[in-house]
Amino acid sequence: MITRFLTDVRVTFNPFSLRSKPARLFLSLIPPNARNDGMKVESKMLPRNSEEPAKLAVKFKDGKEMDLDLSKMRITEVMEEVDRHSRQLARKEELLGN
Amino acid sequence: MPPRIRVRPRALCMRCTHASTPISTQTASYASIATASATVPAPEAHQSFRATAPIRLYPPTQPPSHKPPEVRKTQLHRQYQSLLRSSPLILIFQHNNVKAVELMSIRRELAVALRKVDAERIKNGQDPLADEIRLQIIQTNIFASALRVVEFFNPEEHITEQPEQQILTHGLSRRAHEIANNRKLKLELEPILSGPLAVVAFPSVAPQYLKAVMSILSPSKGDFPAPTRRANPDYYEPAVQQGLQKLMLLGARVEGKVFDVGGTKWVGGIDGGIDGLRAQLVHMLQGVGGSLTSALEGASKSLYFTVEVRRLDMEEKEKGSEEKKD
Repeated sequence: MITRFLTDVRVTFNPFSLRSKPARLFLSLIPPNARNDGMKVESKMLPRNSEEPAKLAVKFKDGKEMDLDLSKMRITEVMEEVDRHSRQLARKEELLGN
Repeated sequence: MPPRIRVRPRALCMRCTHASTPISTQTASYASIATASATVPAPEAHQSFRATAPIRLYPPTQPPSHKPPEVRKTQLHRQYQSLLRSSPLILIFQHNNVKAVELMSIRRELAVALRKVDAERIKNGQDPLADEIRLQIIQTNIFASALRVVEFFNPEEHITEQPEQQILTHGLSRRAHEIANNRKLKLELEPILSGPLAVVAFPSVAPQYLKAVMSILSPSKGDFPAPTRRANPDYYEPAVQQGLQKLMLLGARVEGKVFDVGGTKWVGGIDGGIDGLRAQLVHMLQGVGGSLTSALEGASKSLYFTVEVRRLDMEEKEKGSEEKKD
């Protein structure tokens, strides 16, 4: 997963729901130095009996915000969604020559 | 390394003697049979062999396991089983790419905090537990499998059904594997057991230690405040703080029951641990006793009053009727 272009990650999930697995896996995909390099990561844990779906809110460096409902996605789909915009940003960066 | 199977020479000898001269060994065992065996033809070789105790082909300290015992996976499985059986309180954390340095410094802070609790416990005459509480990173799937064995496999079950057959009772046996592999049985912790996990196991339910661990590993402002910068400057090192950001408390398993974060905080918030709870209970029961006696007294008093009132009432009526007669 391309995490270079993420500035803000917010995850809300209930650990006792089977549908929150992608949310937790997404957190584990963030590289160890990301928080040092200015990425904000917030994870909010819901109580056990809450029925709220797992949510992911991502902000990119160009200001785009993305809200995903993780309760019906697999982790590969989540990565695809996030990477789609990251790849565009990577290409732009490459063309500008920085 | 393949499992060591000791060959017992005596067992081999028994086989040899039975194959060659079955009658001599048979007559030597019982006197009553010795007289009978003169007329009755000698039993066949394999029958007499069955009549003896079954030969165990493994040493008593190394019962055969379902999976190859020399593999790391199997040994971890066994280790996790013993961890789960021996610790009534287990905290489950998720660790997201915690670096080795960060993990090391977190462990150091945890040990320091636990040692402080130890000092208090020793003052009160309780035994210290700090050496047995540590943050341990686990192999999630093996841990889940071990938990299934611990939850669903009861070694005492079905033990008397086939007395002549050797039944294995350890957690790595084939029987344990078959029982634990029943997918119809669902673990309560199952949704939690995925992804990278770490575990803090306590050898007894000691809320003091739980409180110390929580205030280090997942501090929250109200109940479990982190140590202040003045009291413990090491805690605010960048390595510790960055590591703690990547550590999330998911839940706890307390005496077989599963608690979420709120429940865990509640357990940690019990003041004084089991002794505190006992004191509370005694207090409550005393209160109940007092109110109970007053309630019972009240009933008898009110009964007395009603009866008394009724008596007076009757007397008045009797007087009234007597006066009327007159």
